[in-house]
Formats: sequence, C-alpha cells, structure tokens
Amino acid sequence: MFLKFLFICSSLAVLFGSLMVACTKDIMHSCIYLFFCLLGVAGLYLTLNADFVAATQLVVYAGGIVILMVFATMLTGGSAFQAHNKFGFKKIPMMGSRETYIIGFISAFLFIAITFKLLLNLKEGLTPLSGQMPFETVRIIGHKLVTDHVLPFEISSVLLLGALVGAAMIARPRRG
Amino acid sequence: MNETIVTYLKQFEFVSRGYAGLSPHMATLVSVIIFGIFAFVIVNVCAIIGGLGTYAERKISADMQMRIGPNRVGPYGILQFLADGVKMIMKEDTVPRDCDRFLFFIAPFFCLVGVFATLAVLPFSNGFILTDLNIGVFYLLGVASMVGMGVFLGGYSSNSKWSMLGGMRGASQIISYEIPVTISILSIVLLTGSLSLRDMANAQTGFPTGWYIFHNPFTFIGFFIFFIGILAETNRAPFDLPEAESELVSGYNTEYSGMRFAFFALAEYVEVFVVCSLASVLFLGGFKVPFDIGGNTIIGQLLQVGTFFGKAFLLYYVVIWVRWTLPRLRVDQLMTVCWKYLTPIALFNLVGCAFWMYFFDGKSILTLLLQTGAAAAGGHH
Repeated sequence: MFLKFLFICSSLAVLFGSLMVACTKDIMHSCIYLFFCLLGVAGLYLTLNADFVAATQLVVYAGGIVILMVFATMLTGGSAFQAHNKFGFKKIPMMGSRETYIIGFISAFLFIAITFKLLLNLKEGLTPLSGQMPFETVRIIGHKLVTDHVLPFEISSVLLLGALVGAAMIARPRRG
Repeated sequence: MNETIVTYLKQFEFVSRGYAGLSPHMATLVSVIIFGIFAFVIVNVCAIIGGLGTYAERKISADMQMRIGPNRVGPYGILQFLADGVKMIMKEDTVPRDCDRFLFFIAPFFCLVGVFATLAVLPFSNGFILTDLNIGVFYLLGVASMVGMGVFLGGYSSNSKWSMLGGMRGASQIISYEIPVTISILSIVLLTGSLSLRDMANAQTGFPTGWYIFHNPFTFIGFFIFFIGILAETNRAPFDLPEAESELVSGYNTEYSGMRFAFFALAEYVEVFVVCSLASVLFLGGFKVPFDIGGNTIIGQLLQVGTFFGKAFLLYYVVIWVRWTLPRLRVDQLMTVCWKYLTPIALFNLVGCAFWMYFFDGKSILTLLLQTGAAAAGGHH
C-alpha cells in the first residue's frame, strides 16, 4: 500500500515535471521542472527495486546534467528572465524558427511511435515476471560490468574521453 | 512486494506485531508512521546541532581572537541561536524587485532538502540508523549534489552581481571538489567491498589501529584529500569563495533576508556536521567502541552514539579552527588545488589502494608489521 502510494507520488512528480517543462516559457524554470521530473524517475526506480539505478539517476542526472543545463542556459543567455537582466546578456529568440518546427515534428512522431509500440504490448496482457528480484543489486551490477559487459563499459569510457578532449580543444585559447 | 523499502519498514514491525488484530495494511501504516516519527526526531536533532554549530563557531572564533563572544542569552550565551532564529522569523522578508521569484523562493529549499535527505543514511550507531541502504554512500553523494543547485539558483535568481558571482563560484567549486572527494570515498569502498555506511564502520575497530586512516599509506593521504575536499564542498574557509565577505558582500545569499537566509545558513551548518560524521565513519572508525563494550544492548548502542557524535564534533571543531586560521584562496588557486593536485593524488591513491589490496590481501600495514616482527622474533619455528 505504502509502496503503491510512493509509486503514484513519483509518477505524479514525473508527469507534473515533464508537463511543466513543456509549458513554461522561461527556459531556466524548465530546467528546474526537469529536475523534479528526474527526481520522480529516481523514485520510480526505487519503488521498482532498482536502488543502484535510482542513486545513479540522482548523481548523474539530477546532480550533474541539470546543473550543466542551467550553466549552459545562463552562459548562452537564453532565459526570458535575462531579457531585463542587467548583466548584459541578451535574450536570443530561439523558438518559432523553421528548425524548431522540424525538430518538434520529428520528436512528436518518435513519441507517438514509441507510445503505440508500448500500447501494442498491453493488448496481449501483462504477465508479472517470475522469480524474485535480487536484494543487493549493486554487487551483481558491478560483477556484470567487469565480466559480461566489459567491452561496452570500456567503449563508453572511450566516448567520454573523446568528449573531454573535444571540449578541451574547443575551449583552448587560440595561439597565433 | 518490493524488498528494498519493505526491509527498512520491517524493522518496526515488532510494534505492529504487538497488536495481533492489525491487518497487514494497518501494520504497514503503523510502521510508516513510526518511521516518520523517527525521521522527524533525527531531522530536528540535527537542526539543533546545526544551530549549536553557529554558536560554537562564534564562541570558538571569539576564543581565537581573544574576545568573549555571545554571552547574554542563557548560560554562557548558549541559547543565542534560538534568539537568532526568532529574530530571523520576525524580520521582514524582502524580495528584490527584478528577481526571478519562482527560483528565488525555491533555492533555499534545494539546499535544505539536499542536506536533510543525507541524514537518512548516517549510522549513528549499529542500531540507530534510519535506513541502512546498501548504496548508502552513493545515495549520500547524490542527494548532497542538490546543495550545489540551491547555491547556484540562489545566486542566479537574485539578479545581483554579487549573488551571481557567488552562485557561479559555488556551483563550479562544489562540482569540481566532488571529484577528489568521490575518488577518496571510492578507495574506502574498495577496502570494505560495500557501499553501506554501516558495513564500512563495522569493518573497522574501536581502536585507532583498526581505523581505515591507518590502514595503509594511501588511505592516510586519502583522508586529508577527503577533508580538504569536504571543506570546499561545504563552502567553508579557506574555500569560502561563494560567500567571500570582503569581495562579494555575502555571496550567493546577499539578497536573502529573514528565514530564507536562515535556511541557507542552517543547511550549511548541518552539512558540515554531515560531512564530518561521514569522514569519521569512512576513516576514523565511526561508531565503533573499543572492545565492543555493551555489545548490542541499549547501553552499547548509547556508547556507540556517543562515540559517533564525539568524533563528528571533534572534526567539526577542526573545521571551525581551520576557518579562523587560514586565509582565503583565490579563485584560480582554488581550481588549481582541485584539478592539478587533489584529483591526481586521489586517483593515484585509488590505484595504490587497489594494488595494496591485491598484494597484501587487504591486511593493514600494522598487521603486516606485527607479522614481520613476529617472524623476525622466531615466530616461524
């Protein structure tokens, strides 16, 4: 009962957050609502017995990505609030151009396709998974990461290294 | 049913089992209510610790500067923090005209929620712990990163140059110093083989010989890196650049007044307590009492709680001591210390710990010395 309550709360947080992300005019507020949405997703993971994934969600998305987004927004000056702000940032009218319409159309199409795919599964009826979920997921995840899935794990670190080097290249002061 | 949460609630089932007539739903409800009461008590106790922290800070700084400090309210002025709290509530709540009201109102709560959420996994003793999550440290790092968000939003939304600079400094500092801190924690995780804070404390002994700080040379260095890192993460001097009084008025909380300002201050002082107790759990044996006096009885638990708080408060004292001793760093020095010194050393420590675990079977340096000594004295005959 309590778990259902938690699950419903988390789902409501996700729904509310994602709705507000789309409905707010100020991009900075969108970032904060996105934060609520990601917290809700972490809550969903927690109630579904994936505690490690939930904590990772908190560390990576809530702690890292949202702060990064807020920083990026602030430094590029895309917030409506900044339009009358006195730091000298100028508001950049990003929305309503041809590119945004194209991207919006594609993402709407993808969203509808994925939703249909999920709903098709519903028609066959859901069967609960048999067997018990392991209580301690951390140990199993760690073990799998360095045995069965070591190649994707390493390749993803190469990807991150590439991103890091690229960022350093772009940010490097030009000489001569 | 879901195991993760249910097991934490089950520890209170003895209460509901006392009343045989309760249905399972009611039993869960009773457990949840008891759990809520415990959480409420711990949050309030830690808030009082935070309040007393402000008093301790003023008294100790006064001592160091040969002043008297607060001495009017209550005996030795110990109720000063309550008087301050009342003053904060009575104050006018000013809001800058051109601020971003939504973010301005929400920023202090980010700090407060992030700090209080970390209290859930602090092991006050072997038994007094709200939830012994098996991802304890990881969870703690995750929710503590909300504080950086609050600091940054507080600075950004105030629409003031001082706040803005303070907020940017705060966010970049907290994000940067998370890296050496996390890597130092990782080396302890390596030694313990668990992410649960209770397991980490239980893997050590009551005497300094069994503490992780003296386990091997790498953890010894790791402790100091960790301590420097947490000083920076909690915006304490010599890393108090986000609220550098002489440069930025009051930094990210310049525009805040009344209770909102008090939330920032309270969050900072409670966070110092949290990270100090984390340092004591990770490196200084946590709640372990010598010879395990009292065992798992209530007396033993109380002794453990006393040990835990004693160590945490000792570190708290050191933090205050450092603040009133060292001058503030510059921004570039701050980043240099983090990225050019602490992070490489922490990485080296992590690798060193791994090698130590591999070559010496996870034995501590003292055990090895004793073994060699015994062998030299003819222990192998």
